Amino acid sequence: MPLGTLDRTPPPFFKQGPSALSKLVVFSAVSLFLMVADLRLGLTAPLRSAIATALYPVQWAVMQPVQAAMGVGGYFTSLHRAQQTEADALRRLAQQADRHLQLEQMEMENRQLRELLAMRERISSPSIGAQVLYDTADPFSRRVVIDRGQTHGIVAGSPVIDESGVLGQVTRVYPLVSEVTLLIDRNQSIPVLNTRTGVRSVAFGQPSADGDGLELRYTLSSADIEEGDLLTTSGIDGVYPPGLPVARVTRVERRAESSFNRVQCEPLARVQGTLHVLVLGPTGLQLPPPPESEAAPSRQRRDRHGGTAVVPRSAP
Amino acid sequence: MIMRPGQQLLLPANRAFIWSSLVVALAINMLGNVGLWGRAAWVPDLLAVTLVFWCVHQPLRIGVGVAFTFGLLMDVHQGAMLGQHALAYTVMAFFAVAMHRRLLWFAVPTQAVQVFPLLLAAHLLVLVVRMASGGTFPGWSFFLAPFIETALWPLVSVVLLAPQRRAPDPDENRPL
Repeated sequence: MPLGTLDRTPPPFFKQGPSALSKLVVFSAVSLFLMVADLRLGLTAPLRSAIATALYPVQWAVMQPVQAAMGVGGYFTSLHRAQQTEADALRRLAQQADRHLQLEQMEMENRQLRELLAMRERISSPSIGAQVLYDTADPFSRRVVIDRGQTHGIVAGSPVIDESGVLGQVTRVYPLVSEVTLLIDRNQSIPVLNTRTGVRSVAFGQPSADGDGLELRYTLSSADIEEGDLLTTSGIDGVYPPGLPVARVTRVERRAESSFNRVQCEPLARVQGTLHVLVLGPTGLQLPPPPESEAAPSRQRRDRHGGTAVVPRSAP
Repeated sequence: MIMRPGQQLLLPANRAFIWSSLVVALAINMLGNVGLWGRAAWVPDLLAVTLVFWCVHQPLRIGVGVAFTFGLLMDVHQGAMLGQHALAYTVMAFFAVAMHRRLLWFAVPTQAVQVFPLLLAAHLLVLVVRMASGGTFPGWSFFLAPFIETALWPLVSVVLLAPQRRAPDPDENRPL
């Protein structure tokens, strides 16, 4: 039997609506407008949010069998592996307990010293635990979707960390889920501090088909940087809290034709296949608003060193 | 309507079946992304094949506008730039509608060969748009997708035409 394809419905002769060509022109124009609006003007957030909400039931239904399969797979994980994981976790907990005790003591010491020096309290940001649902299907970018959204209090721009370092930043917030752009995305950058030398720089995402990483651009060839250096967040951006581990330098390539080095780093967070993450509140939101410059000339004059008096001291 | 000799006269297509097949194709795309392949570049786009199929077989019901709408859904699900799939599907649907009278005179494997440029064009359009807006090159496996989609065409043809091939007068011996 040949695969026949003719239909019995008689075609309407006169009522055929606008021609396919005119529809092509109109819809292509709308698509192009949407792209420009999305990329340059930033107008499409409400539309995207509305479509995402409409699409959520389908996504939810699709995710149920996946999660069920994962649950079954987890159930049949051998006892030996479960015990091993538990032992690992306990060992890490013990290590961390040691550091935690030290940390408490040092925090107290730090607070006292800061009080002595009359400096501002360090900002601590609230955090929300979340689970990574899936990688976005877009092969042109590096993003993941987490199961916390606007209704759980996620704000766009919040830093996201996993158990070993900074993972990325929340870039789009939907009512029930949000999108996290990973550090290795090409459009993502993060200010870092070299813990060995104290030099600050900016790490840019450098994805490629064969291996994703980070790159420290504009590192002078005379700069003191070595393979194995640990990079942490510097905290001067007002987004990431300072001191979070980010990456480790894996390769420093001297280039004869340029005055800059090519420095490649490997992110410490598991950018592939991490499951549980922590969304921190952006640091910048908790800073007090800058005072008006006219309002405080007297205080500036009273300050011996000038400059720093612009930031008001925190209330005791 | 002119018919080729030896071809079966089909039952009229069910509107609900057409729409549900499109939604199921979208769900299968999502399932592949969520559960199986993540963001691998070579994954075939079943929704594109289904859209081309219905644009060719039922151009009065499924056309450029429907393709545009499903493109937007795809964009939002992927978290991609809004409009890239919409544009690709729009162009693909237009050419599918334009070639629908010619295509149905061929046997299914020949149809698959003729559909291939359409699917390739859709992928190329997405690639060009994204590279122009500063995306990462996803690797050469990206070009594997239209080949897999072409290979899926005969399968899709059989599955989606099956309801229309049922006997017009079902009885005890022919329940379907």
